[in-house]
Amino acid sequence: MHRLLAFIEQNLYFILFAVLQVVCSFLLFGLNPYQQASFTHSAAVVTANSNKLSSDVTGYLDLKNQNIILQNQVANQFQNSSLGTIMYLHDTLKVKDSSRQHLYDLVPAQVVYNSVYKAENVFVINKGTIDGIKKNMGVVSSEGLAGIVLKSNAKYSTVMSLLNTNMKVIPNINGMEYFTELVWDNSSPQTMKIKGINKLEKIEVGDMVQTGQSSLLFPRGIPIGTITKLEQKENSQYFDTELVTTTNFRNLTYVYVVINRDAHLIAPLIEE
Amino acid sequence: MRIVLFWLFIIGLQVVLLNHLDLSAYLIPQVFILLLIKLPLNINKMYQVLIAFGLGLLMDMFTSTPGIHASACLWLIIIRIGLLSGQDLKEHEANKATFSANTAGLAPFMYTTIILVFFYHLYIFWLESIGALNWSLWLTTFIVSSISALTVMGIIEYLSFTNYDE
Repeated sequence: MHRLLAFIEQNLYFILFAVLQVVCSFLLFGLNPYQQASFTHSAAVVTANSNKLSSDVTGYLDLKNQNIILQNQVANQFQNSSLGTIMYLHDTLKVKDSSRQHLYDLVPAQVVYNSVYKAENVFVINKGTIDGIKKNMGVVSSEGLAGIVLKSNAKYSTVMSLLNTNMKVIPNINGMEYFTELVWDNSSPQTMKIKGINKLEKIEVGDMVQTGQSSLLFPRGIPIGTITKLEQKENSQYFDTELVTTTNFRNLTYVYVVINRDAHLIAPLIEE
Repeated sequence: MRIVLFWLFIIGLQVVLLNHLDLSAYLIPQVFILLLIKLPLNINKMYQVLIAFGLGLLMDMFTSTPGIHASACLWLIIIRIGLLSGQDLKEHEANKATFSANTAGLAPFMYTTIILVFFYHLYIFWLESIGALNWSLWLTTFIVSSISALTVMGIIEYLSFTNYDE
């Protein structure tokens, strides 16, 4: 304490200097119109910047909630769009009115585990049977097709990723369904292959591969990938087709589980 | 008495003549800071700060720039205290001598004065144009005014070389 007092006493002139500088600042920015305007402008800039910083930080902290809100909005939009509904005519003769029957529900989910470098890749989502998720339901991302639910417990579900050698999807290219299979050959986490497309078919590099109508798991028109390579071998009548998936599986965070509300009614009819 | 007359002379020179020089827009030499540079070495640091503040306010009154010279003088005196603490002036301090070429030696006095003069001009011209700094005008005014102030100070110091410390 004694040392502290001695130190203060020794540097009292500096404290006086600081106090007098404050007095000078008041005089400078209070009585000089030019400096006052300049100070007011600078203060406004500082305030605006600090407000922006505060807003950015608050916004960043709220991103998780905003993501959930956006996911729900996307799910609602999807349910009300033509992809999520089947349209039928009340009166085929008069064609007076049309109505839409709600067919698919989307359940937003977050990916809690994901693998891309194995032969049989899966990811786990934070939605389970409590949320209505069951085996063999389709899973899509905001970019395109992602996988199929393998199994579920109350809170979580395992999804077979599109990057799984057991995954087979029937492709639809330019509105045409091809009864061959889209497979992943474990070569790269973003490329898949289609074999068995006849060379006579009119497809080109850049064409979009989508889901078709031959599956109850996904609505028609969900993007799967874009054709990047079309190889024509001399001794074969088929293209060797390669595509890049629209979904980036290395960065998969949010997905939607597609629930076909009438699958239990349609599936027995197909099996018969 | 000589010191009082010296102070009156320098303040008069600054207020009456140098503040109204119309030779060039870049030429605004602040010679009065020589009074602070040459303050007697034995004066308590608290008083040095108060004298600097008072002299700065006095100059602000004449130039209608409240706070600018006062703030610059306060900085100048703090820097001066720092610079002089590195010099061996104990003997002259005991003799109540002023800081001059005669007491501190020509080289230490010169570099201390040059640093303080350059700092002072740099600071006040920056404060005057704060917020809308014209770099070329600022640097030209600072260099021209500092050099002219140093020249005038040199002449004054030369003329008072033998008389002031008596």
